[in-house]
Amino acid sequence: MIIYYISLALRSLRSTPILSALMVAAIAVGVGAAMTVLTLNYMMSRNALQHKDNVLYAVQLDSWDPNKANDTANEIPWQLTYQDAQALLRSDIPTRQVAMHRFGFTVEREDSHLRPFVASARVTSRDFFALFDVPFLYGGTWDSAADQAHTQVVVLPKATNDRVFAGENSMGKSITLNGEPFTVVGVIDHWNPAPKVYDLTNSPFADAESLFVPFGLHRQFEIDTWGNDSGWDSGSKSEGYEGFLQSESVWIQYWVELRDGEQKQQYETFLTAYIQGEKAQGRFQRPLKFALSRPSEWLRLNKVLRNDNRVLGWVSLAFLLVCVINGVALLLAKFLRKAPEAGVRRALGASRSALFIQHLIESAAIGVIGGIAGIVVALVGIRTSRHLAMGWIDTVASMDWLMMLAAIGLALFASLLAGFYPAWRISHTNPAIYLKTQ
Amino acid sequence: MFEFKPILSTLWHHKASALLIALQLALTLVIVSNTLLIITDRMEKMARPSGMDIENILTVNFLAIPQDYDMAGAVRADLDMLRALPGVVDATHSHQIPLSGSGSANAFQTQPNQETGGEVANYYRTDPHFIESLGLALVTGRNFTETEMQVLAPNEQRQAPVIIVTRQLADKLFPGEDALGKPLYNGDSPMEIIGIVERHLGAWPEWSKAGNVVFFPALRTTQSMNYLVRTESGERDALFKLLADKLAERDSERVIEVNTLSNHMARSYAVDNMMVKVLSTVGAMLGFIVALGIVGLTSFWINQRTKQIGVRRALGATRTNISRYFLVENSLIAATGIALGAAAALIANQYLVRDYSQPVLTLLPLGICALVILLVSLGAALAPALRAANISPATATRSV
Repeated sequence: MIIYYISLALRSLRSTPILSALMVAAIAVGVGAAMTVLTLNYMMSRNALQHKDNVLYAVQLDSWDPNKANDTANEIPWQLTYQDAQALLRSDIPTRQVAMHRFGFTVEREDSHLRPFVASARVTSRDFFALFDVPFLYGGTWDSAADQAHTQVVVLPKATNDRVFAGENSMGKSITLNGEPFTVVGVIDHWNPAPKVYDLTNSPFADAESLFVPFGLHRQFEIDTWGNDSGWDSGSKSEGYEGFLQSESVWIQYWVELRDGEQKQQYETFLTAYIQGEKAQGRFQRPLKFALSRPSEWLRLNKVLRNDNRVLGWVSLAFLLVCVINGVALLLAKFLRKAPEAGVRRALGASRSALFIQHLIESAAIGVIGGIAGIVVALVGIRTSRHLAMGWIDTVASMDWLMMLAAIGLALFASLLAGFYPAWRISHTNPAIYLKTQ
Repeated sequence: MFEFKPILSTLWHHKASALLIALQLALTLVIVSNTLLIITDRMEKMARPSGMDIENILTVNFLAIPQDYDMAGAVRADLDMLRALPGVVDATHSHQIPLSGSGSANAFQTQPNQETGGEVANYYRTDPHFIESLGLALVTGRNFTETEMQVLAPNEQRQAPVIIVTRQLADKLFPGEDALGKPLYNGDSPMEIIGIVERHLGAWPEWSKAGNVVFFPALRTTQSMNYLVRTESGERDALFKLLADKLAERDSERVIEVNTLSNHMARSYAVDNMMVKVLSTVGAMLGFIVALGIVGLTSFWINQRTKQIGVRRALGATRTNISRYFLVENSLIAATGIALGAAAALIANQYLVRDYSQPVLTLLPLGICALVILLVSLGAALAPALRAANISPATATRSV
C-alpha cells in the first residue's frame, strides 16, 4: 500500500513540475540556510574536553587593580601573573597541573634545505599532554626538571614533524629554534581541539600550536607572550626582563586536574591560603576571589559562541519557518486543485485516513528531495562562510555525518509540518460536490 | 468602490490560505527589519574612516633568528634601503600593525600618579616617518625629530618625554581645551603632547575605544619588528614581491612576511562582512520565497474563481475592476500581515537588544521595510491579477 502511495505521490509531483520544483527549492533553501548556521553554531559549541569535564578546572585569581574590577564575565582576569603561576606550580595537591602561554620561534634544521619558517609555540609545564589527553606517536613529555631549569627540548606535533623531518621518528634529533639547538623528546599525533578550549584568549578557532617547549625556558630566551598580556600596575620592583616576570601583568593560562570533590576542596583551601598570604605582602588588594571553571563552564564564560552566531541561529530558524508556512500555502493550493480526484477516490471507497496518509507521503517526498538538496546548499553555505571569515573559523567550518542526517531530518520534519494541514483538509472534503460536476 | 464587502466575505471563505500569506509577510517583516538594522550598523562600522592611505600601504613583519641580533642596526639599514626604493613614498618601523587585531594599550591620565580615571589608549612605538608612511593628517603641532628617538632594551620601561595623540583622545582627556603642549601621565613622569593627528583607528577596529591612540618616538629592540611602507598610488602590488626579496637579500638571518594593510583590515572586519553578506542573502531569499508563495496562491484563487470572474465580466465589470479586485484583496492581506509583523518586529528587537546587544529598531527603518514588503506583495499579485482580467466573459456561459 505504501509503495502505491509513493508512486501516486511521485506521479502527482510530476504532474505539476514547476510547482513541485518550487516547493522543493523552498525547502532546500530554508533547510540549507538553517543547517549552514546551525552546523557552524554546533561545531563552535562543542567541548573537546567533554570526557574530562568533571575533573579539569581553569584557574583564575583576582590579582587585579584594587580600584577597578577586571572586565571579564566573572570580573577575574582570564590569566595569571607569572609569579602566581610559579607559586601554584609548587602545590602538590592537584593530580596534574599546567601553566602555559602562547609564543613563537623561528624554525630551522641544520644541514637541510628546509627554508626557515616561523612557528607558533606553547610554552608549558610538562603535564600538558597528560592533562589534555594528547596522544603521543613517539616518545613523551620532558622531565620535570625542564620546567624549572633551562633545558632545550621540544615536543613536535605530527604536522611539524612531517614538515621538518619528513614524518620519520625524530626522537633525539636536533631542531634549531631561534638559532639555538633543541632536542626532540616526543612527537604527538594529530590533535587539534576546536574550539581551542585550553586557550581561548587567542582566536578560539585557531589551530593548536606547532611546537611545545618547557616552562623553564623563560629567562634564557626572555620569552614574552604571543597572546594577550594585560597589566594595571605600571610600577615594577625590578628592571628589565626580571621586572616583567615579577610584574602584575597577567599572561599565563593555568589548568588543574582534581579527581574528586575532596581534592577540589583541598585545592580551594590552598588557593585561599595563598591569596591571604599574598595579601599580607601587599598584593591581591581586591576582595578575596578566585574561580575554578570546568571546560564546559569555561567555554560559556568566554562566550565562544558569539552573540552574532546566536542572532544568525534565530534568523535562520525564522527563515525556515517562513519556508514551512510558504509550503503549507502552496501544498494547500496544490492539494485542493486535485480535490476532484480525491473526491472520486473517496467515493470509490478510500478511507479518510488513507487519503490523509497518501497526501502526507507526497509532502514527505518533497521533504526528502528538499533535504538532500538542502545538504548541498548547506555545504556551499559553509564553504562560503569559511571563505568570508578569512581564516577565523577554519577549524569548525565543516559538516559531519550527524549534521547531514540532521539536515534530512529537519527537511522531513519541516515538510511533514507543512503537509499536515493541507492533507487533513483534503481528506475531509465532501466527495459529493466533486462528483456532481464531473 | 473597492468592493470591500465581497472581498472580505471571500477572504473569510479562504481564511486559512489568507492567514498563511499574512503570517509569512509578518514573519518576513520581523526578520527583514531586524536584519536590515544589523546590516546598516555593520556597514557603518566598516565604512568608518581609518585615517590612513589604506590602499597603498604594505606591512612587513619579521622575526630575527639569532638571539644576539642587532635590531637597531637592522632597522636603520632596512629603512634606508626601503625609503630609497623607487615607488616608495616613505617607510617607518612600528611595534604593531594598524588594524591587525594585535597591539598594546595602556591607561593615560592628566595628573601624575593618578590611580583611577584617565583614558585607555592604543599606543605605538614608531619614528618620525610614521605620519607620512601611514598617510595621517597632522592637524596641529609638530612631528617628532630624529633626536627625540629613544632606543630601548627589550624590557626597558623608560617613558617618552614627547608624544603625538589622535584628536579623539585629546578631546576625551581635555574636553573643550587645547591639548597641545599639555602633559599626559602613566606614572610620574610627564609626556608632552607635541602634535595631534586628525584620526587613526589603531590596532583593533572592534574595540569600543578604537580611535584612542598615542604615538611614542621609540624603538624597542625585541626579536620581532614591523615596517609600514607607503607606496605611490597603484605601485603597491608591484612592490610586494620586490620588498620581500630586497629585505631577505640584505639580511637572511630572519623570517620575513609581507602583507597589505587592506588585507589586515579585511581580516579584522571579516566577521562583520560575513554578517552583512549572510543577512542580505537571507533577506533576498526571503523576499523571493514569499513572492513565490503569493504568486502561487493568487493564481490558485483566480483559477478557482474563473467562472465567477467570467460572470462578473459578462455583467459589465471592466478589466480594471477585475484586476483591482485581486490587488485590493492582496493589499488587505498584506496590511494585516504587516500590522502583525510590525508589532512582532518591535518585540523581537527588544530581545535582540537585551540579550545580544544589537542596535535598537526605530520606526523609520521599520516603515521602510513595511513599504518594501507591501510593494513586493503587490508586485507578486500583479501578474496573476492582470491575467485574471483577460478571462473572457464567455467562460461564464461554459461549464467547467
